[in-house]
Order: sequence, then structure tokens, then C-alpha cells
Amino acid sequence: MATLETQKIDSIIASRRTMLLGGGALALAAFTSATGKAAIPAAPTDNDILNFALNLEYLEAQFYTLATEGTYADLSALGSATTTGAGTAKGSASTSTTVVTKANTTSIKGNVIAPVPFTNAAIAAYAFETALEERRHVNVLKTTLGSLAVAQPTIDLLNSFYALGSLLSPSVPNFDPFANDLNFLLGAYIFEDVGVSAYHGAATLIADVKNVLPPAVGIHAVEAYHAGLVRSSIAAYDGGVVKIPGETRAGASGLTVQISNIRATVDGTISGTPDDIGVTVKNVALNTASATFASSTTANADSNYIGWARSVRQVLNIVYAAPGTPSKGAFFPNGLNGNIS
Amino acid sequence: MEETLNKLAGLGLSRRGFLAGAGAATAATLVGCSDNGTPMSNVPVAPTAPSVTDVDILNFALNLEYLEAEFYLRAATGTGLASADGGGATVTGGAKVPLTGFYANLANELAQTELAHVRAIRATITSLGGTPVAAPAIDFTNAFNGAAFAAGIGPAFNPFAGDINSYLIGAFVFEDVGVTAYAGAAPLVTNKKVLDAAAGIQAVEAYHAASIRNLITYGAFTSNDQTFLNYANEIAQLRSKLGGGMETILNPVSGYKAATATSNVTVSPSTIVACDSTNAIGFARSYSQVLHIVYATQPGTFTASGGFFPSGMNGTIKTPIA
Repeated sequence: MATLETQKIDSIIASRRTMLLGGGALALAAFTSATGKAAIPAAPTDNDILNFALNLEYLEAQFYTLATEGTYADLSALGSATTTGAGTAKGSASTSTTVVTKANTTSIKGNVIAPVPFTNAAIAAYAFETALEERRHVNVLKTTLGSLAVAQPTIDLLNSFYALGSLLSPSVPNFDPFANDLNFLLGAYIFEDVGVSAYHGAATLIADVKNVLPPAVGIHAVEAYHAGLVRSSIAAYDGGVVKIPGETRAGASGLTVQISNIRATVDGTISGTPDDIGVTVKNVALNTASATFASSTTANADSNYIGWARSVRQVLNIVYAAPGTPSKGAFFPNGLNGNIS
Repeated sequence: MEETLNKLAGLGLSRRGFLAGAGAATAATLVGCSDNGTPMSNVPVAPTAPSVTDVDILNFALNLEYLEAEFYLRAATGTGLASADGGGATVTGGAKVPLTGFYANLANELAQTELAHVRAIRATITSLGGTPVAAPAIDFTNAFNGAAFAAGIGPAFNPFAGDINSYLIGAFVFEDVGVTAYAGAAPLVTNKKVLDAAAGIQAVEAYHAASIRNLITYGAFTSNDQTFLNYANEIAQLRSKLGGGMETILNPVSGYKAATATSNVTVSPSTIVACDSTNAIGFARSYSQVLHIVYATQPGTFTASGGFFPSGMNGTIKTPIA
């Protein structure tokens, strides 16, 4: 519950970000086995950018489809199944070479894993919506790129989250985003803001402003809707408006602040103006002289309330979970496919 | 590359030109008919599209931000924009809504956001050598009453009545429109820095649109009362009629079945995101389509005022051309 006390805790956590994240960055560097320099063309073509986006959409589509149906995006029975060619070994893919997930502990026919056992029907409905829309994004990008579309790279939705959980304070060992409603929201939180900032950053790189920019701007908006959905749900849960049956944990907002700080650490902005803000409460002035109005942060934006743009390099840092110039790691243990990797 | 572009062009995405207004064909069928189908004596003629610069587009956006800022600031504090922020024109209606807890925090966030957008756009216009237009006269009282009547909600609607549901419906009227307006404007902007800022503001409008749609959907779910969700959908249908379609109706939460030993959770997907249902790409509106929504005028009419702007917007872009 967002009592004054927990708000204070949030602000203490935020004020300690540098200390926490100094350690976090080191741990991340240690975690990442990747070496070598990422491939980023000096002047990426529109197709390079669309393929870069496609990699991110593969990640999201797999995450949400596993969360909702317990299976891969290309096996979805709920519309817009993708044609990734990945993880087609139905029900036997706890160590799939293409999508690494936890072991299957269910006996439900067709399942790859046990999906999130949602207890809040509204959060379940949001998850199913998001899964559908991310599969549609995969498909529209693949259709657009045609034979130029890259295949799905290997995606890790197991070790990546474990590593992330170990960076939280207090540590959350074996963090499983598929375990329950709140873990799912936190898992989704890790992705969605990144997608928004990635499309934003790409917008100004796109050469064809008549044909490529409009749909890119349209997908950018949809990613922001998804991120707003996740952030407002977390804020409303901490604020006591959204109830999750069976869930008693407080302080979800504080975890989002930490996750945001980790993202800003690996993308290199933490020491200056961090390009990420968690779900928290801060005081604003409105049309008065003093900042005395408590305000939520359901949008991830700068002090002018303008969304962040991330460079391709910064987005790679986050999905590889490492600062510097990694070429693979975390969610993409073999790197992205395509010219931008 | 050429092949790729042709495919994109053939996808039938909502890529209506911000300037041209794809409503032209629809408009042609409406021109010459009044609402009851009787031919009118004076057939309106579409005005010629003005030549627009980045500053003109920013001033168009500034009018919309003024509208949102006045709405949210008045709801949060009871007062509107200071003259230093372009305020001062007559604003009819608007009062402090006594919210608490999470909802008060959200209302303050929304108010601070739109005020910041006003300031950022004014500063950007100035930095480009232009002059930010002042806020035009704004009428909340009659515009919301008129929208409620046209949407079939009832003879009157006051988002400042004091309850959270009425407030959320008021916010719903604006947020999705802002997203579509920025999406429509983005490809027309020539300066990459302006495009960058426009994309960043569009994202924030979409974050907030999602928050509002989320809370309306969730409120109907927990209260088991669809009244306000239905209001939102009636508003969306009105916007669709005025603004060239491009709306996504909110699905109530339904069909939930908990997981069992032999079955996964099932539930009907929600529709929090406003986007096309084939490719999940957000909508873009031409400025004429946006103007018809905020002026509460029909496509194919060319009146430069009405609805929330009784004296029209300020700036070069203020008259619908489709």
C-alpha cells in the first residue's frame, strides 16, 4: 500500500541508487559472458531498423504467450500465432535451443510451461491482450520485411530473470515472472518501457518518412499503451486500488525503481541524467510556486514529461544486461539477428 | 528496399495523411445534406489546405495541450494556466475534483504533465524563431454537455462533479485523441529535433491513455457496474463518427476461468490499447479529423470553431479542410 511510509522507503531506495547500482553494474558485468564488440552500422538502413525491432518483438511475443498460454508464440491458439519457427517441440522445451524457459511442471496437454496462474481476472485480460498485440507486431514486421526478415534468435526467459532477481535488494533468488500476477507485472515492466524508448530512438533514424515512419510511430504508441498499462497497474496495486487475490507483498513500486536504475546503469546514463524513472511518488508544483502536490509516475518520462529515446547501443545494453559494448547476453544469449546486433 | 516499401504501403495501415485528410471521400457524401437528409441551399466548399511549417504544427499541438492542461489543472487545483504559460482567455467550467490517495496522485501527475507539455512546446516554438499562440477560449461546460447528448449518455455530463468515475470519463475524452494527433503530425515534421520531441510527447500521451482506459475497465470489473465503461464507449463511438473512425471499444473483463490441474487460465482479452485490430498499430488522425472532434463538428463541414473551442483554435491550422 502506498502509505507515506512506503513512499519514504521508495525515496530512500531512490536516493541510494548510486550505491546500489555501483554493485549492480559490477554484478551484471560478471554475469554476462559476452565479449567482443556489438555490430552497429554507422548508418543503419530502414530494414536494419525494422529487423532490430523484430528481434525485440520476438522477445515480447514469446514472453507474453508463455505467460498466458504456457506455450510459444508460434503455437498460440488464440489468434495471430507467429511463424517464428522457434520452439516447435511442443511440451518438451524446458531447455529449447530457441526459447529457454523453466521446466514444465504441468500435465496440461500442449503446455511448455505452467503459465501465470492469474488470480486477478483483469490482469489476466491485459496479459492476453498484450500477447495478442505483440504477436501481431511480429507478424506485421515479418510481412513488411518479407524475405529480408531475420529469424528469431535464441531467447532466454529463465537465466535472464534469475540474474535480474539477484541484482535486486533484497535479492530475489530464482525470480520467476510466470509465478503469479505481481511477478508477471514486474517481468513485463522490464520490457515495455524499453520498447517505447527503442521505437522513439529509431523514429529519427528512419529515412522513409512516408512509408516506414508512420507505422513505426504507431507501434511506438502501442508499446507506450502497454507500458502505461503495466505501470498504472503496479501503481494502483501499491495504492490499494487494484487487488490481487492471494497476494500480500508490498513495495512493488520500490522494485520498479530498482529495475529502472539497473536499466539506466547498463545504458550508461545513471551518472548523469538517468533515462528511466520507476513507478514512484514525487512532489510537483503544478501551477503554484512550490512542489507540494504528490504525483504518481505512470509515464516513464523526463522532467519535461517527454518520453525517453534510447540509441540502438543503449537498447542492446539493456537486453544484453551489460554496460559497454556487449554483443550478446541475458535475454539474447547468442545476440540479436540482423545487421544491428 | 523498394519491395519492402511497397509491401508497407500495401498493408492498409491507418496512414491517413495528416494534411490531406482521408475523410475527403466521406465528406463528399455528406456535403449538401443536413442531418435530417434535406438538401441544403448552400453547399460548403472545402477550404484550400494552408501551407504549414513545423511551427504551425507545434502551435496546433499547443492548442490541444492548452485544452488538456486547463482540464487537468482545474481538476487538480481549481485554477488554470497562468498568463506566463499562455493562459488568460475565458475558460467556462472546470472545478477542483476532491480526489484522494492513488487517484489524487494520478490527477496531479496528469496536470503536471500537460502543464510541462505546454511549456516545452512554447519553448520549442520560440527556439525555432516562431511565436507561440496564446490559449484560445475554452468551454468545458457546454462541450461536455453537448458531447454527452450527442453520444447518447444524457442531456448533461460534468467531469468535475467530484467522483472519480466522472473524472476518468472526462480524461478519456482527451487522451486517445492526443495520441492520434501526434501520430498524424509526426511524418509531416521536417526538423528531426521536433520529431524527437513529438514522439516523446506522443509516448507520454499513450502511457496516460492506457492508465485511463485501464482504470475505467478495472472500475467496471470490481464494481460489477458497466455504467461508466459504457459512457466511455459511447464517447469513443462519437469520436469515431466525428474523427474518421480509428477507435477501439473497451471490452469489459469477462470469461475468466481460474487455472486447474488440467487447464490454464482463460479470459477474454481486454482492449486497453487503441490500435487497429489486424496489425496492432496505433491510429493516426489528420488535423481535420482532430479538429472535428474538438470542435464537435461533422466531417465535411468547415467551421473553424465549436465544442471545446467556442472561438476556434489559434494559429494557422484551425479550419478543417475535409
